[in-house]
Amino acid sequence: MSEEKPPTGKQKQIAISEFFEKNKHFLGFDSLQRSIITAVKESVDNSLDACEEERILPDIRVEINRLKDDRIELISQDNGPGIPRGSIEHVFGKFLLGSRFHAIRQTRGQQGIGITGVVMYSQLTTGSKTTVVSKVIEESSAVRVDLGIDTRKNKAIKSGENREVWVDEVTGEEVRHGLKIRTEMKAKYQRGRQSVYQYLRMTSIVNPHASISLTVKDRDGGVIEEGDWPRTTDRLPRVVEEIKPHPHGIHLGTLQRMLRESEERKMTSFLRHNFSGVSMRAAREILKKAGLEESRQPRRIRAEEAQAVLDSFQKVKLLNPPTDCLSPIEDLLIKKGLSKAIDSRFASTVTRDTRVTQGNPFQIEVGLVFGGDMPADSPIEILRFANRVPLMYQQGGCLLTKAIESVDWKRYGLDQPGGKGVPKGPAAVLIHLASTNVQFTSEAKEAVASNEEVIDEIRRALLEVGRGLRNHLKKSSQRKKAREKFELINVILPEISQKSSQLLGREEPDLAPVITQIMNAVFCEEALGWNVDGKLTTCDITVFNYTARARAYTILAKWPEGDGVEMVYNPLGGRKETHGLWAWRLDTLDPGSSAVISFSVSGLGKGDWVDMEIFFRGNGDIIGATKIDENLLGEMRKKEALDAAVEEARGSEDDAMVGLAERAGESSDEVSEGAVETDWGSIAPESGVDE
Amino acid sequence: MSNSRQKSKEEVIEALHNVASEMHDKMSKGTPPTMTLPVRSKSNIGFDQKLGVYKYGKKRTVRDAKSLGSARQLLRSLHVTEFIEEMINSGKSSTLREMYYISEAWGNGKFHSQNESNNLAEDLEIVTKCLREDFRLRPEEDGARIIGNVTFEERNRRGDWMRINCRDDVGDSGYGVPYNVESEKLRLIEEDVDFVMAIETGGMFDRLVENGFDEEARCALVHLKGQPARSTRRIMRRMSDEWKKPIVVFADCDPWSFRIYASIAYGAIKTAHISEYLASKGAIYLGITADDILAYDLPSDDLSKQDLGALEAELSDPRFSTGWWQQQIDLMKEMGKKAEQQSLAKYGLDFVTDTYLPEKLAHPDVGLPY
Repeated sequence: MSEEKPPTGKQKQIAISEFFEKNKHFLGFDSLQRSIITAVKESVDNSLDACEEERILPDIRVEINRLKDDRIELISQDNGPGIPRGSIEHVFGKFLLGSRFHAIRQTRGQQGIGITGVVMYSQLTTGSKTTVVSKVIEESSAVRVDLGIDTRKNKAIKSGENREVWVDEVTGEEVRHGLKIRTEMKAKYQRGRQSVYQYLRMTSIVNPHASISLTVKDRDGGVIEEGDWPRTTDRLPRVVEEIKPHPHGIHLGTLQRMLRESEERKMTSFLRHNFSGVSMRAAREILKKAGLEESRQPRRIRAEEAQAVLDSFQKVKLLNPPTDCLSPIEDLLIKKGLSKAIDSRFASTVTRDTRVTQGNPFQIEVGLVFGGDMPADSPIEILRFANRVPLMYQQGGCLLTKAIESVDWKRYGLDQPGGKGVPKGPAAVLIHLASTNVQFTSEAKEAVASNEEVIDEIRRALLEVGRGLRNHLKKSSQRKKAREKFELINVILPEISQKSSQLLGREEPDLAPVITQIMNAVFCEEALGWNVDGKLTTCDITVFNYTARARAYTILAKWPEGDGVEMVYNPLGGRKETHGLWAWRLDTLDPGSSAVISFSVSGLGKGDWVDMEIFFRGNGDIIGATKIDENLLGEMRKKEALDAAVEEARGSEDDAMVGLAERAGESSDEVSEGAVETDWGSIAPESGVDE
Repeated sequence: MSNSRQKSKEEVIEALHNVASEMHDKMSKGTPPTMTLPVRSKSNIGFDQKLGVYKYGKKRTVRDAKSLGSARQLLRSLHVTEFIEEMINSGKSSTLREMYYISEAWGNGKFHSQNESNNLAEDLEIVTKCLREDFRLRPEEDGARIIGNVTFEERNRRGDWMRINCRDDVGDSGYGVPYNVESEKLRLIEEDVDFVMAIETGGMFDRLVENGFDEEARCALVHLKGQPARSTRRIMRRMSDEWKKPIVVFADCDPWSFRIYASIAYGAIKTAHISEYLASKGAIYLGITADDILAYDLPSDDLSKQDLGALEAELSDPRFSTGWWQQQIDLMKEMGKKAEQQSLAKYGLDFVTDTYLPEKLAHPDVGLPY
């Protein structure tokens, strides 16, 4: 669009102003309250994107000052790469500009018209200019420039440009690279669910690599609101690759344009080189089904032939598009982000595998936190994100909300009056939809549009975290019971014995048989600790046999096996059962005896791992552990092996291998139908484990 | 209570030691310690033909140390036993509230609320067949107020016997009944009344006093202050026993007032172990009855959900199993109404003393001369 020649003269002037005026509801400037949020959003999103591209850990500072009347001053500063002097007008002064418009990959994306809209809104409502201070590392000083927009020519007007040494007001140090924007606009600052504060809080949750702070001051200079969200990880989001379109997501017009512009000489190479997921075998099959010669020249394909190609796209088994175009936040970082923003007792997160809908890869991540300070009697907090951007409006009409409403939360321990709708309880649920093409219900981009495959995927993720919650609640109640029993036998009973003996002047009885009678169960207790010196997470699992019979068990523990996370100390040995599950065979436990399994894990931060799940194999129940389901375990092993095969095949260019991988993919699909239920949370049988 | 019933120090300590002994014996046999006590609910009270009151039946509940809560109770019982033993040996006494505070020092055996300590004291009374007076434990609950031409002698703090006529020697608030009304503390000297009238609410008590009803009707008026304290019930029992005076109860017409009456006439469920000392058999329920609401067209309130539940429970309470009570309760349920004593004021301040009470007292079912 930006390539088209703009209309000239008066016509354009009207067009730009009218465009803004007519579209301000989806540009985000439709109310005074919302305008300031949108302005912050545009500048912060820009900062995050710029930092990500340059692999810089972002430090973002937002300052809002209330001025007289409905005027607000917004100052936003980052430590990003800055913008070279020559490009400033380009970035801030032009509508409908953006290098990302045609790229197929996950980006925060532009809301409306980006930062230009802020400059525009400022000018329209206050007549003032926006000041930009930019420092790029290659230059010795920063450039300061005042910007306005010439609505006539659709370009920025610079004024008062000069160079200066930029010293950070807070640190007192010279800024090496970064960008600062100061603008004034008509707006109203408000608090609550739809506020700048909430927006930044949510942004910090899904950008755990960013440090963000907010200061809001009243007219008298008094601070009315403050927020500080330091980064919790030094790991930047991974670099996302641009991908070629997938045949399943293509429209006829696009296909025709691609054919017209193609330099390829043969249709087979056209299909293989311009689309993702098309192997040689698949290309041949597509053409055969479309009734076209393989050697046809793309440029010569007629409209009805293109339609035939489009139709046969749906009839041929294709590889899914590659998924490295998506940047999930990942379980652990969601957990960190959530616990940074919300005080809670329990967090369960899941990052689902990438899936495809209409040729677009998408990935669902869900996090659930429970307990802590959250109110128990109001609806849970819903945190919605699309491509790491918080969605703050139109909650009710959003697919992400509908997915939450469609789950029977009572089963998982949350109150859900009437059995439907948003559940109540001390919990917050985060849903992140990452996709190369997020479909919104409207241009306002605040609510995700309905899509069967997406909602299905979210539901599955929610059930998974729900199972985690249910297990947690069950475990807490089991733990409470166990604690009570331990107090009973270790504290109260000896006192009863001592006191009664003393009153009666008799000998104290032997309590061992009494204890066995009271407990009559095997108990399992686990403790996760932190070894500061070794930066190790320490784990102790203690099993007590308080029954009258000898018991033999294999204990299995789920642990966060993964990149750089390793078991470094494990004197009992044992063996790997499957990915993330370790097993130890215990010696026979005599009545009244106990055994301890100790191990340490490296590669985790303090507090990263707080909740251990323990399973067992053997006869009789263990309070505090769950009997393992061998069938599900078997399927998990199978899936793990298949995933490995697919992964290997993907790495290969060999068509034969691709074919193999496609077949593996098919069978892995079959497994994953059932395997969806083999997620960790459900390794225990659904029924029969509740006491 | 008569001296013959009072247990010796040794008997009390032995009875308490039996409780500790049950626990110790169980543990020595390798089983969890227990404490056996009667079930304290309406399902386990029965009419004792010999005593003429309701007593606990044969149902026993065993409190064992399999759960933390009941293990704590056992430990507390032992602490209380030790505490009582110390008091007995040193000749001291304490209030139930003091014991609650003293338990702060008992570590894992401490009470978390006074209700807990009161209940446990009752448990021990029941199990040991002792009275809390035997345990040197006093309640803080207020005794009743009495006005009328009856004369008591009460031993004051100096140990002197003080003669008090409840008409001439008291102010408008009447004679305050002490918590201990046993013969070592209180003697019944003389009387010139025909009956004793127990009144539920202070407002009605004051109305009758102001109208001079005690003299007019030749009766002693007892203000119950809601659910009557043990000493209130005990002093009525003594007046009934020693002076052979009929007891009539004048209360609101609601399910809770019926229970007040039952505790006076038959014995309360919570204190069924000592009903024979507290209950005045033959006490008459004068009103307000469900019939009265209709007969006198009294202003009434709707029964609440709790009221209905209480009425329902009373229908299966053995103390209300007589035809008359069943009929009254059914009638109330049917009307869905309850009424206060003071609703009689609808017809003027004197209506209760000029019309209502005389009519009720003269009724053949009551048969008291007026």
